[in-house]
Amino acid sequence: MVNAIGPQNLNSFSEASVSVEIETEDMTLNIGPQHPSTHGVLRLVAKVDGEKVHDVKPVLGYMHRGYEKLAEVRSYPQITTLVNRIDWVAGFSNEIPFIAGAERLMEIDVPERAKYIRLILTEMARISSHFVFNGAYALEVGALTPIFYAMEDRERVLDLIESVTGGRFHPNFNRIGGVKPAAGAGPTSKKNIQDLPAGFYRDTKVAMEKVIMAADQFQNLIGGNEVFKKRTKNVGVLTPETAEAYGVSGPILRASGVKSDLRMQTDYLPYDQFDYDIPVGENGDCYDRWDVRVKEMVESAKIVLQAIDSMPSGPLQAKVPKVIKVPQGRTYVRAENPKGEMGYYIVSDGGLGPYRLKVRTASFSNVSILPIMLEGALLPDLIAIMGSLDFVLGDVDR
Amino acid sequence: MEEFFNKIKESFIEVTLEFETINIKVNSTEWIESHKKLRDEFNLKFFSWLSAIDWDNEVSVGEAPKESVSPCFEVITCLTDLANNNLVTLSTIISKSDSKIDSLVEIYAGANWHEREAYEMFGINFENHPNLEKLYLPDGYEGNPMLKSFELISREVKPWPGEVDVEGMPEESESKE
Repeated sequence: MVNAIGPQNLNSFSEASVSVEIETEDMTLNIGPQHPSTHGVLRLVAKVDGEKVHDVKPVLGYMHRGYEKLAEVRSYPQITTLVNRIDWVAGFSNEIPFIAGAERLMEIDVPERAKYIRLILTEMARISSHFVFNGAYALEVGALTPIFYAMEDRERVLDLIESVTGGRFHPNFNRIGGVKPAAGAGPTSKKNIQDLPAGFYRDTKVAMEKVIMAADQFQNLIGGNEVFKKRTKNVGVLTPETAEAYGVSGPILRASGVKSDLRMQTDYLPYDQFDYDIPVGENGDCYDRWDVRVKEMVESAKIVLQAIDSMPSGPLQAKVPKVIKVPQGRTYVRAENPKGEMGYYIVSDGGLGPYRLKVRTASFSNVSILPIMLEGALLPDLIAIMGSLDFVLGDVDR
Repeated sequence: MEEFFNKIKESFIEVTLEFETINIKVNSTEWIESHKKLRDEFNLKFFSWLSAIDWDNEVSVGEAPKESVSPCFEVITCLTDLANNNLVTLSTIISKSDSKIDSLVEIYAGANWHEREAYEMFGINFENHPNLEKLYLPDGYEGNPMLKSFELISREVKPWPGEVDVEGMPEESESKE
């Protein structure tokens, strides 16, 4: 006999099945190491109970290159080449704290102009890093379009970095005591050194105004999107207390409402000369972390525009000995990188290279928060939360 | 900063101020207490990093210390205070033969990964750590790579060319010929 299930029967049928509790075993889900949303080769081992995730275990080390060990067999000028490759999305900003640390121990006063060039390029690195985040994050939560805009706009900034340093990702441009003469800046004989390529100011102005426009465009294109809002608002909320205990820094910390920015608090570059805001979030959710970064792009562009207008003249290099030896001592210099606090603890014994170099990277501490943030999250939110941390595996594994 | 430094001086014995960083040296038995004190009384709630230094006279990589040192591990933590921007490093000495120290995970949850890294790289045992296992290195890896006695194999195979200057640019060598 065929027992038709009509609408009248369906109700009771579904009620009956709801009341039955099915006990299932947790499934172990492996994400990565080759998953597009892991920004490299991070592997997550998660226990999945239906749609809920718990006991997430990040597995690191697929990108571990042992830079701390390699630094021990290299001289100071050689290490700048290495540190470029830690966070390759913003290679330039990795050099700054290391160079500043060596200069601090050697008691070198860097010429103002060199400091300004460093500052401009650091902010450009921040902008390009945030462009990548904007494109990639939208992609991860399901919007394909923004990454094309983001990559195109980023290219404009990378072109500028390339025109000065000769490299798009690994500039290796800083020297102890200043910066090297720019690529394509004409003759580099000692008498006639030029630093910035012709037309740099003009091109930068155009590019920075484009950045401000692009940020505005992202606010509409991504931030105004209802799907994006639904997927990020009140998802992955991080309290400032947890963030502090884990050493989470940078835009993630600021999104949780802590107004902390090393650019304002320390003096590794002359940020006190400029007028800019530090965007702070309210809820500490994924949306805020995205929002803070978009606003930061605008602030960075403003800093660059101001720096271009008030660029001091003068030499590019302080007087340094031909063979660079850093006096005995130790120092920790930290800087506000696009992803958070990056610092180098240099222990020098007066030799050609450091006795020990501890590299403190932002992403390492930022990713260590993942097990806490993903506890009890829904599976689709896992990608949204992970993406909002904006890490690079080179920065995690070093 | 000055005021904060004086306040710390009252609570700890070996304190120095250098490059706007307050360096404190403590006995390894006071490791936990000192951190608790710094967190609760001095408001240093931001855990920046933990690492170690291997002090040894005989090294197989890099340069040996110029002055003779007594072989030991130095464990260092870096703490900051986000509101007032105070920067403090805390260090302690532990012996190499019995390299163990109490874990800080109870006080600063963020110490977890840093301690795991120090454990695999230096072989320091962090007692009462919730899961002291390797962080980066593959299972079954033997040795502690960051020890000064650990050889850097790539250097053994091919000595570093950096000692001698790199080859000249093509035009230069042509003109010589």
